[in-house]
Amino acid sequence: MGSRAANAMLSRAQRIKSKLQSALEASLLEIDDVSHQHAGHAAVRASGSAGETHFNVKVVSAKFDGKTLVNRHRMVYDALTDELQSGLHALSIVAKTPQEIAKK
Amino acid sequence: MISQSVSLLHPFQCHILSHRLGSSMASHTISISSPLPTSSSLRSIASGSYRTNRNLSFCNHLRPSFHFHISLDPHRTARLRPPTVSAALKNLSESEPVAVPTDPQEVPAKFPPDSGVYAVYDSNNDLQFIGMSRNIAASVAGHRNSLPDLCCSVKVGVVDEADRAVLTEAWKSWMEEHIRTTGNVPPGNQSGNSTWVPARQQAPRKKPDLRLTPGRHVQLTVPLEDLIDRLVKENKVVAFIKGSRSAPLCGFSQRVVGILESEGIDYESIDVLDEEYNYGLRETLKRYSNWPTFPQIFVNGELVGGCDILTSMYEKGELAGMLKK
Repeated sequence: MGSRAANAMLSRAQRIKSKLQSALEASLLEIDDVSHQHAGHAAVRASGSAGETHFNVKVVSAKFDGKTLVNRHRMVYDALTDELQSGLHALSIVAKTPQEIAKK
Repeated sequence: MISQSVSLLHPFQCHILSHRLGSSMASHTISISSPLPTSSSLRSIASGSYRTNRNLSFCNHLRPSFHFHISLDPHRTARLRPPTVSAALKNLSESEPVAVPTDPQEVPAKFPPDSGVYAVYDSNNDLQFIGMSRNIAASVAGHRNSLPDLCCSVKVGVVDEADRAVLTEAWKSWMEEHIRTTGNVPPGNQSGNSTWVPARQQAPRKKPDLRLTPGRHVQLTVPLEDLIDRLVKENKVVAFIKGSRSAPLCGFSQRVVGILESEGIDYESIDVLDEEYNYGLRETLKRYSNWPTFPQIFVNGELVGGCDILTSMYEKGELAGMLKK
Protein backbone atom coordinates (compact mmCIF):
# COMPACT_ATOMS: atom_id res chain seq x y z
CA MET A 1 0.00 0.00 0.00
CA GLY A 2 2.64 2.51 -0.96
CA SER A 3 6.15 3.11 0.25
CA ARG A 4 7.24 3.31 3.85
CA ALA A 5 7.60 7.05 3.59
CA ALA A 6 3.99 7.40 2.55
CA ASN A 7 2.91 5.12 5.37
CA ALA A 8 4.68 7.22 7.96
CA MET A 9 2.33 10.07 7.26
CA LEU A 10 -0.71 7.97 7.99
CA SER A 11 -1.85 7.63 11.59
CA ARG A 12 -1.16 4.39 13.34
CA ALA A 13 -4.81 3.51 13.09
CA GLN A 14 -4.63 3.85 9.35
CA ARG A 15 -1.45 1.84 9.16
CA ILE A 16 -2.98 -0.92 11.26
CA LYS A 17 -5.96 -0.94 8.99
CA SER A 18 -3.98 -1.23 5.81
CA LYS A 19 -1.65 -3.89 7.16
CA LEU A 20 -4.44 -6.05 8.44
CA GLN A 21 -6.33 -5.55 5.24
CA SER A 22 -3.54 -6.88 3.10
CA ALA A 23 -2.39 -9.64 5.44
CA LEU A 24 -5.78 -11.00 6.33
CA GLU A 25 -7.97 -10.01 3.38
CA ALA A 26 -10.44 -8.78 5.91
CA SER A 27 -14.05 -8.38 4.95
CA LEU A 28 -14.60 -6.16 7.95
CA LEU A 29 -12.17 -4.00 9.86
CA GLU A 30 -12.86 -1.71 12.76
CA ILE A 31 -9.99 0.05 14.46
CA ASP A 32 -10.37 2.32 17.47
CA ASP A 33 -7.64 4.22 19.21
CA VAL A 34 -8.44 3.90 22.91
CA SER A 35 -5.16 5.17 24.21
CA HIS A 36 -6.94 7.89 26.16
CA GLN A 37 -8.58 5.19 28.29
CA HIS A 38 -5.14 4.22 29.49
CA ALA A 39 -3.89 7.71 30.05
CA GLY A 40 -2.05 6.94 33.28
CA HIS A 41 -0.06 4.22 31.62
CA ALA A 42 3.71 4.53 31.46
CA ALA A 43 3.79 3.60 27.78
CA VAL A 44 1.23 6.25 26.94
CA ARG A 45 3.22 8.93 28.67
CA ALA A 46 6.40 7.81 26.94
CA SER A 47 4.85 8.10 23.51
CA GLY A 48 4.15 11.75 24.06
CA SER A 49 0.99 13.47 22.99
CA ALA A 50 0.48 11.24 19.99
CA GLY A 51 -1.01 8.45 22.07
CA GLU A 52 -1.60 5.65 19.63
CA THR A 53 -0.58 3.00 22.12
CA HIS A 54 -3.78 1.08 22.83
CA PHE A 55 -6.22 -0.03 20.17
CA ASN A 56 -9.40 -2.04 19.87
CA VAL A 57 -9.40 -4.08 16.70
CA LYS A 58 -12.26 -6.01 15.19
CA VAL A 59 -11.39 -8.17 12.21
CA VAL A 60 -13.57 -10.45 10.14
CA SER A 61 -11.66 -12.71 7.80
CA ALA A 62 -12.16 -16.07 6.16
CA LYS A 63 -8.54 -16.82 6.95
CA PHE A 64 -9.49 -17.31 10.60
CA ASP A 65 -11.54 -20.34 9.74
CA GLY A 66 -10.49 -23.44 11.63
CA LYS A 67 -8.01 -21.54 13.78
CA THR A 68 -8.02 -21.31 17.54
CA LEU A 69 -8.39 -17.91 19.17
CA VAL A 70 -4.74 -17.91 20.09
CA ASN A 71 -3.68 -18.46 16.52
CA ARG A 72 -6.09 -15.90 15.16
CA HIS A 73 -4.66 -13.31 17.51
CA ARG A 74 -1.18 -14.37 16.50
CA MET A 75 -2.02 -13.70 12.88
CA VAL A 76 -3.12 -10.20 13.81
CA TYR A 77 -0.02 -9.60 15.88
CA ASP A 78 2.26 -10.91 13.12
CA ALA A 79 0.81 -8.48 10.64
CA LEU A 80 1.57 -5.65 13.04
CA THR A 81 5.12 -6.53 14.12
CA ASP A 82 6.52 -3.19 13.03
CA GLU A 83 3.86 -1.28 14.90
CA LEU A 84 4.43 -3.33 18.03
CA GLN A 85 8.09 -2.46 17.91
CA SER A 86 7.46 1.22 17.42
CA GLY A 87 5.20 2.12 20.30
CA LEU A 88 2.04 0.08 19.85
CA HIS A 89 1.54 -1.29 23.31
CA ALA A 90 -1.67 -3.24 23.50
CA LEU A 91 -4.44 -4.56 21.32
CA SER A 92 -7.87 -5.77 22.26
CA ILE A 93 -8.73 -8.15 19.47
CA VAL A 94 -12.00 -9.54 18.23
CA ALA A 95 -11.27 -11.99 15.42
CA LYS A 96 -14.16 -13.68 13.69
CA THR A 97 -14.90 -15.52 10.49
CA PRO A 98 -17.68 -14.34 8.15
CA GLN A 99 -19.82 -17.32 9.16
CA GLU A 100 -19.50 -16.47 12.84
CA ILE A 101 -20.61 -12.92 12.19
CA ALA A 102 -23.55 -14.05 10.12
CA LYS A 103 -24.74 -16.34 12.89
CA LYS A 104 -25.28 -13.49 15.35
CA MET B 1 -20.90 -4.69 92.64
CA ILE B 2 -18.35 -6.90 91.11
CA SER B 3 -15.46 -5.09 89.67
CA GLN B 4 -13.37 -7.09 87.36
CA SER B 5 -10.72 -6.25 84.91
CA VAL B 6 -10.77 -8.47 81.98
CA SER B 7 -7.72 -7.70 79.98
CA LEU B 8 -8.45 -9.22 76.62
CA LEU B 9 -11.60 -10.66 75.22
CA HIS B 10 -12.67 -12.34 72.07
CA PRO B 11 -14.38 -12.32 69.62
CA PHE B 12 -13.16 -9.69 67.18
CA GLN B 13 -10.36 -8.54 69.45
CA CYS B 14 -12.63 -6.47 71.62
CA HIS B 15 -10.16 -5.27 74.19
CA ILE B 16 -11.90 -4.50 77.40
CA LEU B 17 -9.41 -2.66 79.47
CA SER B 18 -11.24 -1.97 82.63
CA HIS B 19 -14.65 -3.06 83.33
CA ARG B 20 -17.12 -2.26 86.02
CA LEU B 21 -19.99 -4.60 86.21
CA GLY B 22 -23.13 -2.95 87.32
CA SER B 23 -26.73 -2.71 86.54
CA SER B 24 -26.36 0.45 84.58
CA MET B 25 -24.79 0.04 81.20
CA ALA B 26 -23.81 3.65 80.96
CA SER B 27 -21.25 3.34 83.71
CA HIS B 28 -18.98 1.10 81.72
CA THR B 29 -15.70 2.28 80.46
CA ILE B 30 -14.83 0.14 77.61
CA SER B 31 -12.49 0.76 74.81
CA ILE B 32 -12.64 -1.23 71.69
CA SER B 33 -9.71 -1.35 69.36
CA SER B 34 -9.09 -3.20 66.20
CA PRO B 35 -5.56 -4.49 66.06
CA LEU B 36 -3.76 -6.08 63.18
CA PRO B 37 -5.65 -9.35 62.90
CA THR B 38 -8.71 -7.33 62.15
CA SER B 39 -7.17 -5.59 59.19
CA SER B 40 -5.85 -8.78 57.73
CA SER B 41 -9.25 -10.34 57.84
CA LEU B 42 -10.54 -7.16 56.32
CA ARG B 43 -8.13 -7.69 53.46
CA SER B 44 -9.18 -11.24 52.99
CA ILE B 45 -12.78 -10.22 52.89
CA ALA B 46 -12.07 -7.38 50.55
CA SER B 47 -10.40 -9.74 48.22
CA GLY B 48 -13.59 -11.68 48.35
CA SER B 49 -14.97 -9.23 45.92
CA TYR B 50 -13.63 -11.63 43.37
CA ARG B 51 -15.54 -14.46 44.82
CA THR B 52 -18.93 -15.54 43.84
CA ASN B 53 -22.02 -15.08 45.90
CA ARG B 54 -21.92 -18.47 47.47
CA ASN B 55 -18.92 -17.42 49.49
CA LEU B 56 -20.26 -13.99 50.24
CA SER B 57 -23.29 -15.33 52.01
CA PHE B 58 -21.00 -16.79 54.63
CA CYS B 59 -19.64 -13.32 55.08
CA ASN B 60 -22.67 -12.46 57.14
CA HIS B 61 -20.83 -14.00 60.03
CA LEU B 62 -19.83 -11.29 62.40
CA ARG B 63 -16.10 -11.07 62.89
CA PRO B 64 -13.60 -8.22 63.04
CA SER B 65 -14.66 -7.36 59.55
CA PHE B 66 -18.19 -6.89 60.75
CA HIS B 67 -18.09 -3.16 60.86
CA PHE B 68 -17.68 -2.59 57.21
CA HIS B 69 -20.75 -4.52 56.29
CA ILE B 70 -22.77 -1.70 57.67
CA SER B 71 -23.78 1.26 55.62
CA LEU B 72 -24.35 3.71 58.37
CA ASP B 73 -27.84 5.01 58.63
CA PRO B 74 -27.42 8.80 58.57
CA HIS B 75 -30.29 9.20 60.98
CA ARG B 76 -28.70 6.97 63.53
CA THR B 77 -25.30 8.53 63.39
CA ALA B 78 -26.80 11.95 63.90
CA ARG B 79 -28.27 10.91 67.20
CA LEU B 80 -25.08 9.48 68.71
CA ARG B 81 -26.82 8.59 71.94
CA PRO B 82 -25.10 6.12 74.24
CA PRO B 83 -26.15 2.76 72.91
CA THR B 84 -28.65 0.87 75.02
CA VAL B 85 -29.37 -2.77 75.04
CA SER B 86 -32.44 -3.59 73.09
CA ALA B 87 -35.26 -3.95 75.58
CA ALA B 88 -36.43 -7.08 73.86
CA LEU B 89 -33.23 -8.97 74.59
CA LYS B 90 -33.65 -11.53 77.31
CA ASN B 91 -30.93 -12.25 79.77
CA LEU B 92 -28.65 -15.12 79.03
CA SER B 93 -30.05 -17.13 81.90
CA GLU B 94 -33.60 -16.49 80.80
CA SER B 95 -33.02 -17.64 77.27
CA GLU B 96 -33.81 -21.16 76.26
CA PRO B 97 -31.13 -23.19 74.54
CA VAL B 98 -32.02 -24.66 71.18
CA ALA B 99 -30.49 -27.97 70.19
CA VAL B 100 -28.44 -27.73 67.03
CA PRO B 101 -29.55 -30.27 64.44
CA THR B 102 -26.85 -32.57 63.15
CA ASP B 103 -28.06 -32.11 59.61
CA PRO B 104 -26.85 -28.67 58.46
CA GLN B 105 -29.86 -28.35 56.19
CA GLU B 106 -32.11 -28.22 59.19
CA VAL B 107 -30.34 -25.32 60.83
CA PRO B 108 -32.30 -22.58 59.05
CA ALA B 109 -35.50 -24.11 60.35
CA LYS B 110 -34.36 -23.82 63.94
CA PHE B 111 -32.42 -20.61 63.91
CA PRO B 112 -33.36 -17.20 62.58
CA PRO B 113 -31.25 -15.58 59.87
CA ASP B 114 -31.36 -12.43 61.91
CA SER B 115 -28.75 -10.33 63.57
CA GLY B 116 -28.19 -10.72 67.25
CA VAL B 117 -26.16 -12.52 69.87
CA TYR B 118 -25.81 -16.20 70.50
CA ALA B 119 -24.25 -18.45 73.11
CA VAL B 120 -22.91 -21.86 72.20
CA TYR B 121 -22.99 -24.80 74.59
CA ASP B 122 -21.21 -28.10 74.24
CA SER B 123 -22.53 -31.57 74.99
CA ASN B 124 -21.89 -31.02 78.72
CA ASN B 125 -23.95 -27.87 78.62
CA ASP B 126 -20.89 -25.77 79.26
CA LEU B 127 -20.81 -22.40 77.63
CA GLN B 128 -18.07 -22.37 75.04
CA PHE B 129 -18.53 -19.15 73.19
CA ILE B 130 -20.63 -16.02 72.98
CA GLY B 131 -20.78 -14.43 69.60
CA MET B 132 -22.57 -11.77 67.68
CA SER B 133 -23.67 -12.04 64.12
CA ARG B 134 -25.54 -10.51 61.28
CA ASN B 135 -27.00 -13.86 60.48
CA ILE B 136 -27.33 -16.15 63.46
CA ALA B 137 -28.45 -19.12 61.41
CA ALA B 138 -25.42 -18.89 59.16
CA SER B 139 -23.07 -18.51 62.10
CA VAL B 140 -24.55 -21.46 63.93
CA ALA B 141 -24.39 -23.59 60.80
CA GLY B 142 -20.77 -22.66 60.36
CA HIS B 143 -19.86 -23.49 63.93
CA ARG B 144 -21.74 -26.77 63.81
CA ASN B 145 -19.86 -27.64 60.69
CA SER B 146 -16.38 -26.92 61.97
CA LEU B 147 -16.82 -27.62 65.68
CA PRO B 148 -19.55 -30.25 66.02
CA ASP B 149 -18.43 -31.37 69.48
CA LEU B 150 -18.49 -27.88 70.90
CA CYS B 151 -21.67 -26.73 69.27
CA CYS B 152 -24.57 -28.78 70.60
CA SER B 153 -27.09 -26.21 71.69
CA VAL B 154 -27.31 -22.50 71.25
CA LYS B 155 -29.14 -19.73 73.01
CA VAL B 156 -30.28 -17.03 70.69
CA GLY B 157 -30.91 -13.38 71.33
CA VAL B 158 -32.22 -11.62 68.27
CA VAL B 159 -31.42 -7.94 68.20
CA ASP B 160 -33.58 -6.08 65.78
CA GLU B 161 -31.59 -2.96 65.35
CA ALA B 162 -28.54 -4.28 63.58
CA ASP B 163 -26.52 -1.25 64.47
CA ARG B 164 -23.02 -2.28 65.44
CA ALA B 165 -23.12 -0.38 68.71
CA VAL B 166 -26.41 -1.90 69.76
CA LEU B 167 -25.28 -5.38 68.84
CA THR B 168 -22.06 -4.91 70.73
CA GLU B 169 -23.96 -3.81 73.79
CA ALA B 170 -26.13 -6.87 73.59
CA TRP B 171 -23.10 -9.08 73.29
CA LYS B 172 -21.48 -7.36 76.23
CA SER B 173 -24.55 -7.77 78.37
CA TRP B 174 -24.54 -11.49 77.84
CA MET B 175 -20.82 -11.69 78.37
CA GLU B 176 -21.01 -9.73 81.58
CA GLU B 177 -23.88 -11.79 82.83
CA HIS B 178 -21.93 -14.94 82.25
CA ILE B 179 -18.84 -13.58 83.93
CA ARG B 180 -20.93 -12.40 86.84
CA THR B 181 -22.53 -15.76 87.39
CA THR B 182 -19.57 -18.01 86.72
CA GLY B 183 -16.54 -15.80 87.17
CA ASN B 184 -15.14 -17.01 83.87
CA VAL B 185 -14.74 -15.85 80.32
CA PRO B 186 -16.04 -18.49 77.92
CA PRO B 187 -13.10 -20.49 76.53
CA GLY B 188 -13.86 -19.53 72.96
CA ASN B 189 -13.80 -15.84 73.82
CA GLN B 190 -10.47 -15.82 75.52
CA SER B 191 -7.72 -13.81 74.00
CA GLY B 192 -5.72 -15.67 71.41
CA ASN B 193 -8.39 -18.24 70.86
CA SER B 194 -9.31 -18.31 67.23
CA THR B 195 -11.22 -21.58 67.30
CA TRP B 196 -14.45 -19.90 66.45
CA VAL B 197 -13.19 -17.70 63.69
CA PRO B 198 -14.41 -19.13 60.40
CA ALA B 199 -11.68 -20.99 58.55
CA ARG B 200 -12.00 -18.79 55.52
CA GLN B 201 -11.05 -15.71 57.48
CA GLN B 202 -8.06 -17.49 58.90
CA ALA B 203 -6.95 -18.46 55.43
CA PRO B 204 -3.57 -17.17 54.45
CA ARG B 205 -3.52 -14.27 52.13
CA LYS B 206 -3.26 -14.84 48.45
CA LYS B 207 -0.45 -17.00 47.26
CA PRO B 208 2.76 -15.08 46.69
CA ASP B 209 3.84 -14.53 43.11
CA LEU B 210 6.45 -16.90 41.76
CA ARG B 211 9.91 -15.64 41.01
CA LEU B 212 11.92 -16.96 38.14
CA THR B 213 15.35 -16.29 39.58
CA PRO B 214 16.89 -15.70 43.00
CA GLY B 215 17.82 -12.17 41.98
CA ARG B 216 19.84 -10.24 39.49
CA HIS B 217 23.04 -10.68 41.35
CA VAL B 218 22.89 -14.42 40.78
CA GLN B 219 24.29 -15.66 37.51
CA LEU B 220 21.88 -17.88 35.61
CA THR B 221 23.26 -21.28 34.74
CA VAL B 222 20.30 -22.04 32.58
CA PRO B 223 18.80 -19.85 29.85
CA LEU B 224 15.73 -17.87 30.84
CA GLU B 225 13.69 -19.63 28.15
CA ASP B 226 14.34 -22.92 29.88
CA LEU B 227 13.20 -21.52 33.19
CA ILE B 228 10.02 -20.28 31.56
CA ASP B 229 9.50 -23.56 29.81
CA ARG B 230 9.94 -25.51 33.02
CA LEU B 231 7.63 -23.18 34.90
CA VAL B 232 4.72 -23.45 32.48
CA LYS B 233 5.09 -27.18 32.20
CA GLU B 234 5.32 -27.88 35.90
CA ASN B 235 2.31 -25.81 36.85
CA LYS B 236 -1.13 -26.27 35.51
CA VAL B 237 -2.14 -22.64 35.25
CA VAL B 238 0.43 -19.87 34.97
CA ALA B 239 -0.36 -16.21 34.50
CA PHE B 240 2.35 -13.75 33.51
CA ILE B 241 0.98 -10.42 34.63
CA LYS B 242 2.02 -6.86 35.15
CA GLY B 243 2.29 -6.30 38.84
CA SER B 244 1.49 -8.79 41.54
CA ARG B 245 -1.71 -10.72 41.89
CA SER B 246 -2.62 -8.69 44.94
CA ALA B 247 -1.82 -5.43 43.17
CA PRO B 248 -1.94 -5.74 39.41
CA LEU B 249 -0.51 -2.72 37.60
CA CYS B 250 -2.52 -2.97 34.42
CA GLY B 251 -6.21 -3.18 33.73
CA PHE B 252 -5.89 -6.27 31.55
CA SER B 253 -3.81 -8.06 34.14
CA GLN B 254 -6.29 -7.08 36.79
CA ARG B 255 -9.12 -8.55 34.80
CA VAL B 256 -7.24 -11.80 34.37
CA VAL B 257 -6.55 -12.06 38.08
CA GLY B 258 -10.18 -11.27 38.76
CA ILE B 259 -11.40 -14.05 36.52
CA LEU B 260 -8.98 -16.64 37.89
CA GLU B 261 -9.83 -15.70 41.47
CA SER B 262 -13.56 -15.72 40.92
CA GLU B 263 -13.40 -19.17 39.40
CA GLY B 264 -11.40 -20.34 42.37
CA ILE B 265 -8.64 -21.54 40.09
CA ASP B 266 -5.31 -22.47 41.60
CA TYR B 267 -2.75 -20.60 39.53
CA GLU B 268 0.78 -19.28 39.67
CA SER B 269 1.37 -15.63 38.95
CA ILE B 270 4.58 -14.02 37.78
CA ASP B 271 5.18 -10.29 37.76
CA VAL B 272 6.79 -9.43 34.43
CA LEU B 273 7.61 -5.96 35.69
CA ASP B 274 9.78 -7.27 38.51
CA GLU B 275 13.26 -6.25 37.46
CA GLU B 276 14.94 -7.89 40.42
CA TYR B 277 13.69 -11.44 40.27
CA ASN B 278 12.36 -11.61 36.73
CA TYR B 279 14.90 -9.54 34.92
CA GLY B 280 14.68 -9.95 31.15
CA LEU B 281 11.45 -11.88 31.39
CA ARG B 282 9.38 -9.52 29.28
CA GLU B 283 11.47 -9.78 26.13
CA THR B 284 12.28 -13.45 26.56
CA LEU B 285 8.68 -14.40 27.13
CA LYS B 286 7.52 -12.54 24.05
CA ARG B 287 9.91 -14.61 22.01
CA TYR B 288 9.10 -17.84 23.81
CA SER B 289 5.37 -17.48 23.35
CA ASN B 290 5.47 -15.70 20.03
CA TRP B 291 3.10 -13.24 21.67
CA PRO B 292 3.81 -9.55 21.98
CA THR B 293 1.66 -8.47 24.89
CA PHE B 294 0.85 -9.08 28.54
CA PRO B 295 -0.83 -10.64 30.39
CA GLN B 296 -0.22 -14.14 29.10
CA ILE B 297 -1.97 -17.17 30.46
CA PHE B 298 -0.62 -20.69 30.09
CA VAL B 299 -2.56 -23.86 30.81
CA ASN B 300 -0.88 -27.26 30.72
CA GLY B 301 2.20 -25.72 29.20
CA GLU B 302 0.44 -24.00 26.33
CA LEU B 303 -0.36 -20.40 25.74
CA VAL B 304 -4.09 -19.89 26.00
CA GLY B 305 -3.88 -16.24 25.17
CA GLY B 306 -4.25 -12.88 26.78
CA CYS B 307 -6.98 -11.04 28.56
CA ASP B 308 -9.41 -11.04 25.61
CA ILE B 309 -9.26 -14.75 25.12
CA LEU B 310 -9.52 -15.55 28.82
CA THR B 311 -12.48 -13.21 29.14
CA SER B 312 -14.18 -14.81 26.16
CA MET B 313 -13.69 -18.28 27.60
CA TYR B 314 -14.91 -17.17 30.99
CA GLU B 315 -18.05 -15.65 29.53
CA LYS B 316 -18.75 -18.77 27.54
CA GLY B 317 -18.20 -20.96 30.56
CA GLU B 318 -15.28 -22.73 28.92
CA LEU B 319 -12.78 -22.21 31.70
CA ALA B 320 -13.92 -25.04 33.94
CA GLY B 321 -13.84 -27.49 31.08
CA MET B 322 -10.39 -26.49 29.98
CA LEU B 323 -9.02 -26.96 33.43
CA LYS B 324 -10.32 -30.46 33.76
CA LYS B 325 -8.11 -31.78 31.00
